[in-house]
Amino acid sequence: MRPSLRIASLIIALPPLAIVVWLFFIPFLSSAHLSFLREDQWTLRNYSLVWRLYRYDILYTLWIAFVSLAAVLLIAVLLCGYLRITTNKPVEFLFKIPLFIPFVVVGHAMRVLLAPKGTLNSVLSQIGLINLNDPPSIAFGWMGIAVSLIWKNLALAVLLVLGAYRSVDETYLEAARNFGASTFRQIRDILLPMSAASLAVAGAFLFTSMLASFSVPLMIGSGEPPQMVMIDVYYRINYQGDYGTANALGVVSYLLAMGVAGYYLRTITQKET
Amino acid sequence: MSMNRRGLRMAGTVLAAVIIFGPLSSLVIWSFAEKWYWPHLFPQQVGLFYWSKVLQGDMLRALQSGFLIAVVVTVLTLVITVPLAYLLARTPIPFKPVILMIFLLPQAFPQLPVFVNSTTLLYRINQGGKFWGVVLIHMVGALVFAVWTMTAVFKSVPESLEEAAINLGASRLKSFFSVALPLATPGIIASTLLVFLYSLDEFTGTLLVGSPFILTLPVFMYRTSVGYELQVASISALLLMVPGIVLLILLERYMKSEYLSMFGRI
Repeated sequence: MRPSLRIASLIIALPPLAIVVWLFFIPFLSSAHLSFLREDQWTLRNYSLVWRLYRYDILYTLWIAFVSLAAVLLIAVLLCGYLRITTNKPVEFLFKIPLFIPFVVVGHAMRVLLAPKGTLNSVLSQIGLINLNDPPSIAFGWMGIAVSLIWKNLALAVLLVLGAYRSVDETYLEAARNFGASTFRQIRDILLPMSAASLAVAGAFLFTSMLASFSVPLMIGSGEPPQMVMIDVYYRINYQGDYGTANALGVVSYLLAMGVAGYYLRTITQKET
Repeated sequence: MSMNRRGLRMAGTVLAAVIIFGPLSSLVIWSFAEKWYWPHLFPQQVGLFYWSKVLQGDMLRALQSGFLIAVVVTVLTLVITVPLAYLLARTPIPFKPVILMIFLLPQAFPQLPVFVNSTTLLYRINQGGKFWGVVLIHMVGALVFAVWTMTAVFKSVPESLEEAAINLGASRLKSFFSVALPLATPGIIASTLLVFLYSLDEFTGTLLVGSPFILTLPVFMYRTSVGYELQVASISALLLMVPGIVLLILLERYMKSEYLSMFGRI
């Protein structure tokens, strides 16, 4: 590259880079920095507070993320297998819709649907499945959060898994069909093993997104412990103004998300060097 | 196809429709419910009372300011991203791996704990709770999305066409404007519309940076929902869904899955 072109390209790169560095990269580093500070002293007290106050919340968050991930992947693997083998355009389109519905709206919709006095309970009571004097509440607990996350993330999972399945060559499936393989066998023995790598990536991506979910638990969480980690960070700042502990919790969440970060880093270094 | 299989297929499609529209349908009913005593299946009194009420007050203001923010975010993002995306797609720009890594970070890590500190930085330059503060925090996500999608768009334009132009004596600049840009336009439009939608729907950054003075529709909806103003919240939720659904229908054929997978995060 000519020197003048080098300078021109750096000038072009500067404005977008400056915004992301200023409002993401620096705050990201400063959360690590602040997590070791308390009243301007270097200390590990923030982390011991995280351990004392939030260790169950971290487990609770992991539990919700794992359960939702397992459900989403299971449904996506089977559904996409069906969509790959026998095309069904309407169903494929339907499962794209949640992609374009923001998390806050999903949170509100599930709140209206799943609350003790929600629409689901009133439907179930009409057919005599539940007792109205003691209506079960799915919202305001881990199940409500999990159901919302599954509903919303299923769209993304279907998109990613179907993409992986579509890149599996048709001739393999034809060969299996010629030997009489059922749809399920085609999924289990061909589609699944041949797209295992993409599936692992999709899984890591979905896991981080669920771990980091904020608006859904804010909308349909119970407001009482246990809470998801992002809610703890938000409350710690909003109600206590305690940036040290909030940032220590933030750093814990970054560490939990390391799987995806590692994958990204590997792809860049592989592709660009 | 046998009768049996066709029936099964129909049942599956209906089931999928119930799973997708079921949770959304109670929003529609709630938005028209003037009186709805639990546990009745349907409201006792339906009407447009709440629709006419919300379309004047705070919600209209939230709608307007959110729309204005999204327009500004989209224009600024487009202007500064297109040249960079072209460079990333075509030239060995200096520090390329570092630049790419910086534009990946916001995808890889949880947003909220970072934005908490970004908010502090914005307050330090007196932009907390202000219009430009919210625009800037939206631009973080918008830029990341735009850089990746638009770089992919420019990469999909065959390089040989530009080489031909350059061999015939066109400058880099000329080949960009008369070859690469026109061919990339459909992809750029798709990505721009998605940036606009991202800004309209953004919640976390707006809540942290904008509160309590800058209100957009997602934040307004959150407040009314947790305040049990269920009709108002449901109407806001429905309005929030409209742009996304319209885009989905419009862009179905242009959208590649890599655009959409980044989009699953709002």
